[in-house]
Amino acid sequence: MSGPPRPTTAERGAPVPVAGAEPTADAGLTSGADLGPDAGPGSGADLGPDAGPGSGEDPGSDAAAGSGGGWDERCAAVLADVTWRVEQVLAAVAALGEEAAAIAAQAGRAGRLLRRTDLTALRPTVAGVLSEHADLAVGAGVVLAPGALADAPRCIEWWWADQGAGLSQLYVDLDPESAEFYDYTTTDWYRVPERTGHPAVAGPYVDYICTHQYTFTVSVPVSVEGRFAGVAGADILAAQVEQLALPGLSGLGRTAVLVSGTGRVIASNTAGVLPGVPAQRQPGCAELVPAAGPGATPGPLPWTLLTGPA
Amino acid sequence: MTGSLSARQAALPSPAPAPVPSLRARSLFAPIDAGGRAETVARRLIQAIRLGLLLDGERLPPESALAGQFGVSPVTLREALATLRTMGLVETRRGRGGGSFVRAPQGRQPAHLERPLRLLSPHELRDIGDHRAAVAGAAAKLAAERALGGDVTTLRGHVERLYGARTLTERRRADARIHIEIAAAAQSPRLTRQEMDLWSEVGDLVWLPVTEAQAPAVAGEHEALIDAIESQRPEQARLLAERHVLAETERLLDLRLRLPAR
Repeated sequence: MSGPPRPTTAERGAPVPVAGAEPTADAGLTSGADLGPDAGPGSGADLGPDAGPGSGEDPGSDAAAGSGGGWDERCAAVLADVTWRVEQVLAAVAALGEEAAAIAAQAGRAGRLLRRTDLTALRPTVAGVLSEHADLAVGAGVVLAPGALADAPRCIEWWWADQGAGLSQLYVDLDPESAEFYDYTTTDWYRVPERTGHPAVAGPYVDYICTHQYTFTVSVPVSVEGRFAGVAGADILAAQVEQLALPGLSGLGRTAVLVSGTGRVIASNTAGVLPGVPAQRQPGCAELVPAAGPGATPGPLPWTLLTGPA
Repeated sequence: MTGSLSARQAALPSPAPAPVPSLRARSLFAPIDAGGRAETVARRLIQAIRLGLLLDGERLPPESALAGQFGVSPVTLREALATLRTMGLVETRRGRGGGSFVRAPQGRQPAHLERPLRLLSPHELRDIGDHRAAVAGAAAKLAAERALGGDVTTLRGHVERLYGARTLTERRRADARIHIEIAAAAQSPRLTRQEMDLWSEVGDLVWLPVTEAQAPAVAGEHEALIDAIESQRPEQARLLAERHVLAETERLLDLRLRLPAR
């Protein structure tokens, strides 16, 4: 838990505040603004694997290509290779969300609230998201805010891809009166877009409701007439992201670890740093410093690449 | 309390040439052909009902859709549904508005649960307790190392629900969610699945021997466990989880041994 030894700011280049991550408008995203350090369950305090005592510095410090030169760029490229793919899924999800919003708006013009059956029109789009991103997205759909539907207090329209057999729909207990209903409004992938109005990436977390795997859920807010009406989202298996990241991490030739916005290790090229465990709590991360982070990549994912000494 | 159980454990000859235990017979010699598939589907459905993912009165999707979802033939699915019907967990109604409906009444009477308890030998109960302690202990230790603030908040919500629970079903569900969420906070899909399997197998029984007066203390055990997880004390968390499961096992054994012989 001791603060890892860090290079001086001068060595690493001028710090770039996370909040100032360039909001490069990405196709389909409602806003390119950052997911914020609070994309995760906790608070901003969870963000940095290096947010240890006295962390006046910033994970994105290398973004402003300071003295690192080629190394910084390589690290930024390795990070962007991964975040880019996930952001493509996010863009597809944003399109799904816009379609859901359009359906709701249409119902509104007809002077009525949305009905469950209206949402079946989204099925082809969901199928498209899942087939187009079959290497990453294993499930996708929309989840509505309580009260947004005329005929159901809560609603999950979520499908996952069966091996070759088309789509299967998720059934969960949505009755708040039930002793154990699935309250999706408390999940990060629902709460964060609701609170911030921005896309979010939740996880990695153990999803025992749908995928039964270690999972990320990317989501975007759906708003109807300026009001939050729910989220559109997709499930991405953490193992797939890890596979995607490992060649790049290994190619760097140093210890390299990809860390989520909440500070959990997503992928590591060394056995000394375990995936899924908060980086801050791993002795193997003590020597590591942020080499690229939010701000070094164009998209909104708050992921950071940590690397060891040469 | 740990003492008496481990003494019991030690007294058992390990690979005894005794009669084949029924549990072993069941798992070892279970058919693995088409019958196995129906059994798997039935187990998944039972699990969903026990964990409250499928509600009392809820209509299951049409057989063809459900078969497609599980990737099995309609014949296999019907076989699985027949199992659930036999167990009284599903009711099939014909005609308009018909279909298969989940039967999982909230206030299941303990009397119904004596039968499954009677079917388990003390040896099996002890063994299930060992398995549960191993899984819950490992999950608690890892959760203390790996849980973040949000995970702890979720866990505390379920403990509140457990304190507020009034029926056996409510208590069992809140308790199951606590253990499943601890395994999820350990970042382990495998431990999470193990907890889900264990809870659907014996979850109904766990609260059976607990009196109304004892319930707050049992909820308190969960609270102490979550305190240890939050304060990142892995060994303490493991110890508390193991003790908690061992105490439950002891209560169950006690109840089992007091059941009138039949």
